[in-house]
Formats: sequence, structure tokens, C-alpha cells
Amino acid sequence: MIGYILSGLVTGAIFAVLGSGLTLSYAATGVFNFAHGAIGFLTALVYYELYAGLGLPRWIAALVAAGLFAPLVGLALHRAMFRGLAGAGETAQIVGTIGLTIALPALGLFLVELALPLGLAPIDVSVQPRGVGPAPPALFDLGIVTLDSDQLITFGFAVLAAAGLWAFMRHTPYGLRMRACVDRRGLAGLRGIDPDSTSALAWMLSCLLAGLAGVLALPIVGLDAHAYTVLLFASATAAVFGRLRSIPWTFAAGLGLGVVTNLVAGYGSFLQEITGLRSAVPVILLFLGLLLLNRSRERVAGSSAEDTPPPDYRADLPPWRRRLPWLAGLALLLGFTFTQSDYYVGIVAQGLVLALIFCSFVVVTGIGGMVNLAQASFAAMAALTCGWAFSAGLPFIVAIVLGVLAATAVGMLVALPALRLGGRILTLATLALALLADQVLFQIDAFSNGTIGWTLPAINLGLGTTTSPQVRVVLLLVLIGLVGLLVRNLERSASGRAILAVRSAPAAATTSGLSAARTKFLLFALASAIAGLGGVLYAISKGATTATDLPAFAGFVWLAVVVLQGVRRIGGAVVGGLIAAVFPELLSAWGVSAHVGLILFGAGGMILAKHPDGVLAQLAEQRYRRRTKATAGSTTADTTAGATVDPLSAAPGVPLRRVGETVYGGARREASGDQPSPLFELQGVVAARAEATVLRGVDLEVHAGEVVALLGANGAGKSTTCAVAAGDVLLTEGRVLLDGTDVTTWQPHRRARAGILLAPEGRGVFPALTVEENLRTWLPDPAPVFDRLPLLATRRAVPAGALSGGEQQLLTLAPALVRPPKVLIADEPSLGLAPRVVEQVFQLFTELRDKGVALLLVEEKATEALAIADRVAFMRLGRITWTGSRSEVDGERLAAAYLGVS
Amino acid sequence: MIAVLAAAGLAAAACAAEQSGGTASGAASGVTGTSIKIGGVLTKTSASGYSTKDAEIGAKARFERANAAGGVHGRKIEFVGAEDDTQDAAKGDAAAKKLVQKDGVFALVPVHAPNFGGAAFLEQQGVPWFGWATGPQWCGTTTGFGYNGCLAPKAGAGSQTWWGRQMADLLGGAQGKKVWVQTSDSSGSKYGGKTISQSFEAAGFTLVGVDSSLPAAAPPPDWLPHVNKIMATKPDVVVSVIAGTKFNAGLYAGLKKAGYQGVLTDATSYDANILKDPAQAQAFEGVIAAPMFEPFESTAPEIEQLRKDVEAVAPGTQLTQHLAIGYWAADIFLKVADQAGKDLTREKFLSVANGTFSYENAGFGRIAYPKDHDEPNGCGALVKISGGAFQVAKNMKCFDNVPLKP
Repeated sequence: MIGYILSGLVTGAIFAVLGSGLTLSYAATGVFNFAHGAIGFLTALVYYELYAGLGLPRWIAALVAAGLFAPLVGLALHRAMFRGLAGAGETAQIVGTIGLTIALPALGLFLVELALPLGLAPIDVSVQPRGVGPAPPALFDLGIVTLDSDQLITFGFAVLAAAGLWAFMRHTPYGLRMRACVDRRGLAGLRGIDPDSTSALAWMLSCLLAGLAGVLALPIVGLDAHAYTVLLFASATAAVFGRLRSIPWTFAAGLGLGVVTNLVAGYGSFLQEITGLRSAVPVILLFLGLLLLNRSRERVAGSSAEDTPPPDYRADLPPWRRRLPWLAGLALLLGFTFTQSDYYVGIVAQGLVLALIFCSFVVVTGIGGMVNLAQASFAAMAALTCGWAFSAGLPFIVAIVLGVLAATAVGMLVALPALRLGGRILTLATLALALLADQVLFQIDAFSNGTIGWTLPAINLGLGTTTSPQVRVVLLLVLIGLVGLLVRNLERSASGRAILAVRSAPAAATTSGLSAARTKFLLFALASAIAGLGGVLYAISKGATTATDLPAFAGFVWLAVVVLQGVRRIGGAVVGGLIAAVFPELLSAWGVSAHVGLILFGAGGMILAKHPDGVLAQLAEQRYRRRTKATAGSTTADTTAGATVDPLSAAPGVPLRRVGETVYGGARREASGDQPSPLFELQGVVAARAEATVLRGVDLEVHAGEVVALLGANGAGKSTTCAVAAGDVLLTEGRVLLDGTDVTTWQPHRRARAGILLAPEGRGVFPALTVEENLRTWLPDPAPVFDRLPLLATRRAVPAGALSGGEQQLLTLAPALVRPPKVLIADEPSLGLAPRVVEQVFQLFTELRDKGVALLLVEEKATEALAIADRVAFMRLGRITWTGSRSEVDGERLAAAYLGVS
Repeated sequence: MIAVLAAAGLAAAACAAEQSGGTASGAASGVTGTSIKIGGVLTKTSASGYSTKDAEIGAKARFERANAAGGVHGRKIEFVGAEDDTQDAAKGDAAAKKLVQKDGVFALVPVHAPNFGGAAFLEQQGVPWFGWATGPQWCGTTTGFGYNGCLAPKAGAGSQTWWGRQMADLLGGAQGKKVWVQTSDSSGSKYGGKTISQSFEAAGFTLVGVDSSLPAAAPPPDWLPHVNKIMATKPDVVVSVIAGTKFNAGLYAGLKKAGYQGVLTDATSYDANILKDPAQAQAFEGVIAAPMFEPFESTAPEIEQLRKDVEAVAPGTQLTQHLAIGYWAADIFLKVADQAGKDLTREKFLSVANGTFSYENAGFGRIAYPKDHDEPNGCGALVKISGGAFQVAKNMKCFDNVPLKP
């Protein structure tokens, strides 16, 4: 027993290292990296080639591979892909990293193949890689258990990695910045922390850990990309038990998982009857962990979970013109079907079967906005049920219906957790279920008939049977057409609009009485029915089905193919299906290495990082641009004003462009000689939040050593003004000047470093960091703060989240005393504080003003702010309605400002 | 734009069709006056690294010898090589369709892919296919010919006893000797465990355990719990029914680490690659591998011929299990084709093969169709890894099958 535990800890060490990397990158960047295992594999491959191919000593090879190569891969991926993916929406993130899982190992193996003449070692079944330690491993008898040198090295490195990671995160400025980003990403930017370079660092570290785990696991699992994917799932379990947030917990969970796996293997003989159950323990734990620990997790900062649909670029085209390409394609397809040989028509039919299955992605992901990785399992479920029912003597048509119903039932079962989970947690749960189906459910001999599977007859349609590929093509086209109509009706019906509402704003939909649960449920059921129908046809066109025909991993690849084409329209599914069937055929016809296909596929993930809505939408956009360019050229020179229907500016979701100096020409107003130029200035600022224009031309200036109070009722646009000043919200018009320099296009962290400090509404502290660490995000040495505010000194090691509201506000502002910014913007600094504390806070403001800081105080309640203000600005409905000195403000003016009486 | 894209794809496919259209229509069944067109399906590459690509050389070597001797009834074998199914059932299906519908082959030789997905198509089209029938998709068909029969018999059909009996002979009797059978946690491996347990029991061994706790997808990171269970029963023989050198290397290293002194045997370790790495050869020292063909170290004239044939087409080739399987599958195909006579059609070929075809050869023992569509031929040899080299422990010998228990 103790032996199992000790030796399980060694195994767990690999899960722990891999899982920590996964948690680190997810928490710091919001991207869940399915390719984490693939990066481990790639590093292991480099290690192997360095020592076996190039003859380096193994420890140097390991050092170069894990310590240098892996972080560089992380950096490269950050630059090429992850940076774009962070803002690209969940579907694109998942698909992008799944694409990498497929492409990276293929790329590695392909390069090795190409470089064989340079002396690299070929990768084949004979490869028996070695660890860093002696080979064969030396044995150490520890009394209870015998461990070999590889195991001890693995454990040693894991402990070293854990200690190193801990020291790095706790005791270096980089670690502090990363933790600040994990804690409150938005605030980190306001404190001058560059989120982009922090993300880059997080990816490098994460890949370093993946690489370390990859090299350590190599002697155990061998050079097998698939085995590394299995390792990834185990480490994902550890990460989920760390709530995808806490590295120490992930590490502990990884170790625990190793122990549990060992105990089940050692004592779980009673589970033997159910094939696959014991190997599925990590997956079962993954599913439970998701259900129990991650139920109501909020969205992770820095990621957009909502995928806003792209604008309809073809809205200006007449209906016949919109449908023309598809009608032409259909005619071409039918022509092809009745003129070409059975072989090629068979490939097209296969593509259409896939297209039918892909249509289910359009329903669940395209319309429902949920990512389901279990779609292949639904298809397999239907195919197996159909085969089982038919061989049990039921009529074929009944068997087909049963198959579809079985898939629908499983879909509803999956939807149950989906009702409570959202976003990535749902995705991971469907992943766990897909793996469970593969490893346990489909292994039940009575259901899948062992490895033999079931044979299925052809469908006789009167005019012909489905053994003929021509008949299959026509049948599938009809079915896809029906699904297309269904989807169209779904989108236009009342329930369809409810679904879209739930998707784009779940909270709002719930409050307006739409049941998110019911619509999700409906979508899942419908999508699984479609996938089930596709699965049955897949089996029928093959004539047989086995448990391994539609593996879970196929579902991941399918999702990627569909999303690459565009998951919001049936057209994307059809093109995706045809490409999935025709592309491999073309590659083999041209004699291209199969690796190349996989690599291209992964490159698609990078495209997705830039164009999250897929190839079809991108093509439509390009055509649209060409069209508008042509019309704009003939009518007016001003492109945006000239077009009547302009989805680029009218559509939601298109990033608002920052307007540079050209608009105002930089010559709006020269500072007149007698008045000193303002230190900080907003000029004609127009800005929107969540697609609604909030600021409608705000002009505001603050001079050095001056306190300006910005007053206004709730909803006047005060907080948006603050966000614009700090760089958190992008402008549509106008500019922001600091000391005469145009900082409009600067990122928040750059503005912060230049001296614009925003104390945001609520509290500007990192709740998970200690008081001292909070101060260190702005100050190299926090000692002077403790001298000035002894209260904080006594609580220096307490997490800021545990402080009282007043203490938190002091902590927010205290660093500014020691290292005064040029401009301090305080958004509702007195909100929710006791009068005594408010007094203290305003004392700080006075002190700062005396140090020459330009202060902009934003308050809803006027009293305290007016007490120290030099000048006052009133704001109403996104405009400054009045500005003047403090002395000109009286009760009447105040009432007018708040009540809107002029 | 989309239409253009789709059209481009289809046009490209159509181009490919035109290029090969001539051959496809000209020789629908793959036989002309002077040639018989043959192609194979192998798992040349796979995610796990498993590869049967050597079977292509084996088949080619055998076909070349036949061609050098004037072909089959004057027709030369036109061997177009083997497709790669990457251990993916759907790809295997596509490959079978390509060979039959596009390339227009007469038969598929060799088919050596553990997860072959083209069985239903070939059976429906009546296309003969020859190879290693490790999976149930082969068994009970009229077109799938395993070179040593069907290795996945249904309950009630014959199941092999040669492994247990050869082992009993080697160890000087099975009385009182305890056997442990180790499989992995998948239906296929569990099934193998059942037939092999029965083989050893039939030979008189005492079965002390059949365990399937090993994960199927990847080797367990820690062998300790698995090894402990085995050591607790103190077996004299441990039979490993797990696929892959990686698994076996881990299991054997774990057992030796725990002080195991008995016999280790498996069906996959007769593989020259294992001996390449000295450290690994050491881990496999003493292991008794059980190939289902006459070992290359044998002095039988058939093996001498095989060496010559391979040397003629690919000098310096390492002889492997997969090469032998390709070679013997081709050999049996040629034998049937010869008996089918001058007017060769698929129907004729199948009626001869499934009539009362019987063929003995020291290389693989014996084969008789249609009986061996449903059960294995019951023949095998034992090879011992000793001092970093293979030694023939037991030459190829055939034994009677016993009905497989449910």
C-alpha cells in the first residue's frame, strides 16, 4: 500500500508538472491549450534527435530541449497564434489549439523525415528512447518499494520544477506581474503591467513545463504522439481539480491522481468485468471534478466567451445572387455524380455523409454557441445502436429510427450538465464524456459486438439501393437540404430568436423570462439527432460499423474542419465535409506526405486566430470590400459616409478603430501664452461600450496641481470617461493628450508607465495578492508606504481581498504617495466607505495635489469632492454640460446639473 | 468564390480521374492476357509507431520470383504496391475502394493492418484479399484469406493450442506449472487472453490468473501494481498478450526488477529491431517469442528460398515478422491462382479457393479453406532471445485446435 503510494507519487509527478503548465497558461491568458501534450511530444522528439541523431550527451540534450527549445516554441506560438486567440472567442480558441495538437507532432516528424540526410535518427517502431539517467536504469531498494533511477530523476525534477516555479512566482517581479494578471487582468494594465509580454512569459513557462514533462515521460511512454495526448487528459484532470487557477492545487492533484491510478490498478480487480473502466479513472474524475468544483465559475478575465456573429456581408445582394454560388455548386456536383466513375462519386458521397454530421455542429456551435467535442460519439452511438437493433431482428427502418433516438437521448444526457456549466467547462465535460464513451460504453461487448461490430444492409429507395454511390449522393443532398431548412426555420422562429438571445446575453435572456436551460436542451437534442442520422448513414454506406469506426478524436478534427470553413452556416458544413473527404485523396494523388496535410490543417488554426469566423465569412468579407471599394470610388471619396449599408461600421463586434491625429489635424487649439497648457486633456472624445455610444464628444482638461471634480448622475458616462482616459475603452473619435503628447493609441500599461494612474471604481487592488505584493506592482520598495500608513504595515502579509473597504481604498492610493503619477484619476473613491475613512482618503488627495499631481475626481455624491476641487465639470448623457471654477458652483447649479434642468 | 473553390476541388479530382480512367475501364477485374494486377493495404505509419510496411517487400519478393519463373499461366503479377491505412478503419476502407475501383486490381495482397476497415466492401464486391487475419473482420468471410487462418474465431469454432503445447514441450512438460496471462483493458486484448489461456490449459498448464488491468491506450506510467499482482501468484510462465514493444519492455523490466525468475513469452518480440539497442536487448534477454511462421534462423529450404527472394528484390533487407507475413500471403495467393487455371476471374478464383483448397508448406505450416476462414491453422514456432540474438527453440509445428469456450 505505501509502496503503491510512493511509486504513485512518482507517476503523479509527471501529471503534476504537465498540469501545472496547463493551469498556468490558462489562468494567465484564458486560453485552454489542448496542444499542451503535443508540445511535450515535440520537445521529447527534439531531445531524442539531439542525443540519438546528433550524438549530444543526454543531459545536455534534455537541457537544450526542455530549457531552450520548449520556451522558444511557447514564444513563437504566442506571437503566431495565442495572442490572437485570446480575444477570438471560445470556439476559435478550442479549435485553434486542437489544430496544433494535430499539426505540431506532424510538423516535427515531417522535419525529421526531411532532415534524415543530415544525420537525424529515423522515427519508427524500433525507436526505444532513453531517459536522462543511466540505461538500463539502476535500481534503488527503499525497503518498501524498489524505484529505478528514471523514477527518481523524474521525481527529483518535478520537485525542482515545483520549487523553481514557486520561487519564480513568489519572489521575482515577473512572477508578481503574472500573478497580478491572473488575479485582475484589467487592473494589471492600469498598473503599467504589459499583459502581452506577461502572456508571452506565461506561454514560455507553460511550454517549459510541458517540455520538461515530455522529456521525463519519454522513457515511459515512448515517442508516441497519441500517448502524449492521453497524458494531457490526465493532466487536465489535475488542472480541473486545481480549479484551472491554482498551481499548487494542480500540482497536488496531479500527485494524487498518480496515487489513485496506482491504487485502482492494484486493488480494483472487482472492476475487471467492465472493460475500460479502470483505465478511465482519470476521465471519470475529470468529469466529476468539472461538475462539482467548477459549476458557477465566472468567465476568465481577458477572454471573450461570447462569439459575436460576423456582419452579413452579403446583405446588399439580391436573394438570387446570394444563392447563385450554391446552386451552381449543386449543379456541378450533380453533373459530376452522373458522369464520373464510382470511385470518385464514392468519395463525394463520403464527403456528404461527413457534411451531414457536420450540420450538427452548425446547430450546437453555430447557433447555440456551445462547443461539443462528443459529436463523433453521438454518431457512433447511433450507428452501433442501429446495428445492434437490426441484428436483434428488428426491421431496418425501426433500427435506423432507434439509432437516431439513442443519439438524441445521449445528447439530452450530455445537455443536463450543460445546463449548469458554461463555456470551456462544458467543452471539457463533453470531452470527458466522449472519452468515457470510447473507453467504457463502446467496449461493452453486448452493445458493440466486440471488435467484430455489426453489418448493415443497404437502404432500398425503390429507384436504387445505397450501395450505389450516385443514390447515396442524391439521398444525402436531400437530407442536408432538409436539415438546412430546419436550421433556417429554427433561426427565424420564436424559439430560434430565444436561442440567439440566450447565446448573446445569457443573463439578460434569463431576466426577460427566456429559459436558457430549455433552449440549450433543445439544441443539444437536435444536434445529436442530426449527428446520429449522419452516423447511421456513415455505417450504412460502409456496410458495417465497429466501435472504433468513429473515435472520439475524429470529433475534434471534424469540429476543426467545420469551424475553419465557418460554423454558422450549413454551407460551411457542406464545404467542410467535402474537403475532409477530397483533400486526403488529392494529397495521395499528388504523392504529398500525409504529414503535410496535418500541418496545413494546423496552420488553419493560425488563420482562425485572425479570422475567427472561418474561410467562408472571410471570402464574403473580401468580396464585400472589393464591391464597396468599386461603388465608393464612383460615388464619393469618403468611403464610410458614402455607403448606405455598411456592415463594417454598423455591425456589432467589429473593433472600433482608434482615430489618430489626422482627424483633428493636431491644430485644434494652440495653448495661449498666458495660460499654462493642461497636463492632461480629452478632446472631443466619442466612445462606445458594448456597442452603445456612451460618450458623445467630451472635452476635459486637468492642469498640474489641480483637482477637477467630475460630477454627474448615474449613467452620465463618468466611468467610461475614466476608462477612456486610462486606455481601457477605445475611442471612435477624438484624442487623449498627456503633457501635449498624443497618447490616444497607447495601451493602458503604456499610459500607466507614462504617468496616468487610474484608481478604478470599486477597489483597485489585486485581491489574491498580499498587501505588500500589491504595493510592489507599482513600487520597487514599499517601505515608505508603511512608514506613512502604519495600518497597512501591520497587515503587509494579508491578502488584499481580506482587507476592509477603507483599507483597500488606502492601499489603492497609497503607492501614488511614494511614486506620484502625473495624473491620478479616481473613480468613485468614496463609494461605500465610512465617513471617517472618506476623510482619510481625501486627505491623501490633498497631499497629492500639493505634490503637483493633476487629479480628476469622479463622484456621484458631490459633497466631499467639491470640498477640495479647484474646478468642477458636470456631465450628463455623455457630454460635459458645464465647466467652471469651484466658486461658481452653488446649489442651483448643482440641482440643474443632476436633474437636467438648464 | 465558394463555387470557384468547390469547382477547383472537383476539377482537380476529375483530372485525376481522367489520368487513370483508361486503366480502370480497360481491365475491370484486374486480369489481362499478360498480367494480373495486385495491390495491398498495410499500416505503414501510425500514431503509435506500429508499422507493417515490411510486408510490401515480402510480397514483392515472392511475386518477383513467380514472374521470373514465367508468371501464373503466362500472366505476370503487376504489383502496384501497398496503400497506407495509418491504422484508421475509414482510411483502410478508402484504400480498398481506391485499389478496386480506381486502380482496378484483381485482388488485395497483402492486407496487413490490425484495424482494417475495407472488409465489408471487399466482401460485397467479391474481391479476394490475403494477409494476416488478426481481426474478426476477416473471419467468416468468403473473400478474406488469412495466411494462417482466422485468428479471431467465434465461440465454438476451433482455437489454437500450439502455443501452450510447444511451450510444454520446450519446458519438459506442463504438469504443475503455473501460467499468468496478462492482457490490456480492451475487448481485443481480452479476447486474445481468452484464446491463449485456453491454449495453455489445453497443454496441461495451471492457469493462475488472467488480468486485463493494463490501460490500452498507452503504457501505464507505473508498473508496480501490475507487477505485484503477478508476483503474488508465483507463476512459472507469464504470457503477455499486449501489443507493442513498449508495453512488453515495461512489463518485463518491472518483473525482473521485482525478482521474477520464470519464463516470459509473447507473440510480438520476434523482431530484429528489439536487438538493435543493447539496453533493450538486455531487457528482453531470455524472452520466448512465438512467431506464427518458420523462424529465419531455421535451416528449412523454404526459408533459404525466402532469403534468396528478398535478397533479389531488396538486398540487405532485415528480415522481419511483417516481411514474412507478406511473403507467405503472396505465396498462398499464387498457389490458388495457379490452381484456378488459365481462365482467371474472381468468381473462378474464389470457387477454387473455397472449394477444397489445401496447401502445406514448412514456412507457415498448413492451410485449408474454407475451414480456415473460421479458425486458425494451429501452427507456430518458438524463438528464444539469448545473448542478444534469436535462437530457434521450437520449429514450426501444427497442432489440433479445440473449440473456443464461450
